Amino acid sequence: MERRRQALLLAFPTALALFVFFLVPMAYILLRTLFTNGTSDFTAFFTDPFYLDILWTTLRVSLLSTGISLLLGYPVAYFMARTRSRMKKVMMVIILFPFLVSAVVRSYGWMVILGTNGLLNQLLLALGLISRPLKILNTEAAVIIGMIHLLIPYMVLSLVGVLQSIDPNVEYAAYSLGATPAQTFAKVVFPLSLPGILSGCVLVFTMSMTSYVTPKLLGGSKFRMMATMVVQEINVNFDWSAASAVSYILLAVILAVQVVIVLLTSGYMKRMGGGKNG
Amino acid sequence: MDDRRVNWACRVLAGLVMVFLLAPLVVIVIASFTPTALITFPPKGFSLKWYANIFHASTHFINGLVNSLKLGLIATGVDVFLGVFAALAVCRYDFKGKNALLNYFTSPMYVPSVAFAFVLLQVYSQIGGIPGMARLLIGHLVIILPYIVRNTVSVLHVFDWTLEDAATSLGAAPAQVFFKITLPLAKPGVLAGALLAFLYSFDEVALSSLLSTPKFVTLPIRIMNYMELTFDPTLAAISTLLILASLVLIVLMEKLVGLDMFVK
Repeated sequence: MERRRQALLLAFPTALALFVFFLVPMAYILLRTLFTNGTSDFTAFFTDPFYLDILWTTLRVSLLSTGISLLLGYPVAYFMARTRSRMKKVMMVIILFPFLVSAVVRSYGWMVILGTNGLLNQLLLALGLISRPLKILNTEAAVIIGMIHLLIPYMVLSLVGVLQSIDPNVEYAAYSLGATPAQTFAKVVFPLSLPGILSGCVLVFTMSMTSYVTPKLLGGSKFRMMATMVVQEINVNFDWSAASAVSYILLAVILAVQVVIVLLTSGYMKRMGGGKNG
Repeated sequence: MDDRRVNWACRVLAGLVMVFLLAPLVVIVIASFTPTALITFPPKGFSLKWYANIFHASTHFINGLVNSLKLGLIATGVDVFLGVFAALAVCRYDFKGKNALLNYFTSPMYVPSVAFAFVLLQVYSQIGGIPGMARLLIGHLVIILPYIVRNTVSVLHVFDWTLEDAATSLGAAPAQVFFKITLPLAKPGVLAGALLAFLYSFDEVALSSLLSTPKFVTLPIRIMNYMELTFDPTLAAISTLLILASLVLIVLMEKLVGLDMFVK
């Protein structure tokens, strides 16, 4: 009992700060929204094709970015987990470096590369591969490129730990029993790395669903995702009811994903024998 | 498929991803030395005039930098205390509901910052009279806390608590035990968490877009505002300085805690 009191005493300042500055405001505003406007804001959202289209765009961009980040990040993480050369450290630095640079700066870099007069168009024109500059900046493609750039480091860092914990001897055992590399990957490495894949994908998907800077800078003024829409409703349209509907729906989607993942992982852990680090 | 070919393909793909990750940063650095307002490759000459432009008062970059540093350092400083206390409470003692408590401390992670910003905006509009810096600081204190808690917990999770008992039995006072045993051993987690928290605060845009007042504007917002008016290499120059700062941070982190701290 004494220990419990000590623990609570230690936790009290932080718990109080979160309660006052986070929990109370969130609950107060949600209740106020529900009591003053009822659910009309939310029904308005789900009956308006304009808003549904924004939700769909956000989901589509996030799913694509997550999928591509996984496809590109997995080989990198696997290579880093298995190599014993100095390359590992070099790659770690290259992955952490952009990770520590502001999203505004990184988006700016992509604007310089993908713009109408950008590096890519200058290059393609000089090589004679195109006769007129391609429009890449201010399209969904640019947003996805910028997003992947933002997400790959998170994906790789989530995967490396799990892949490192898979004993290489397990793979050798599969080979010695006659499995091809493809079989070894599909039946041994991939299933064992699923927890890392799952946690990486959830992290990255959540980040892209809620991202603001990348869609705003690379998507142009006509491209809208949920987070940019919230800011636009408030700062440009002055429509706070719409902003609150959009932001609560975004929050609901994020929480739903978390719940599904918790359920999925607990089922997976049970099947795998419930290892603590599963 | 032959094993060596798979290995080789893996290597090439990894190399291409590295190029992809570095490309925008390298391009920015090269662009910052272009003498012309329109960025061309290769640059037609060499100039440092865009760097001089950063300090020109009309860009407000220095003012933004000072604001962002103030905000990030205060928020991180306060949260290191709150976060380490919270992590200690959860890891050091065994009690019912400790997992729930940990989830509570990390819960701001699951709320989109733009949604939380809007909630704060509505609260502020009802209370009124909260100065620009405090409006942002409250938001930052909340959203960066999980990073410090999580990273500290990840170290304390594998911490050998009998070391504390050993120190106590050798006559160390509780404060001595904390500062000479517990804190030094938890340092890598606390430092990594504090770094990530500071960077999150320094780069944060969604909260600042909704909550900042004309008197208190942070650097990322200044850069985005500048971008909308003029798209000249001054942006590349200020970006290059920020990239350089990140590089210094990486070296510092490698020296202090080792980069493996960031592997989940």
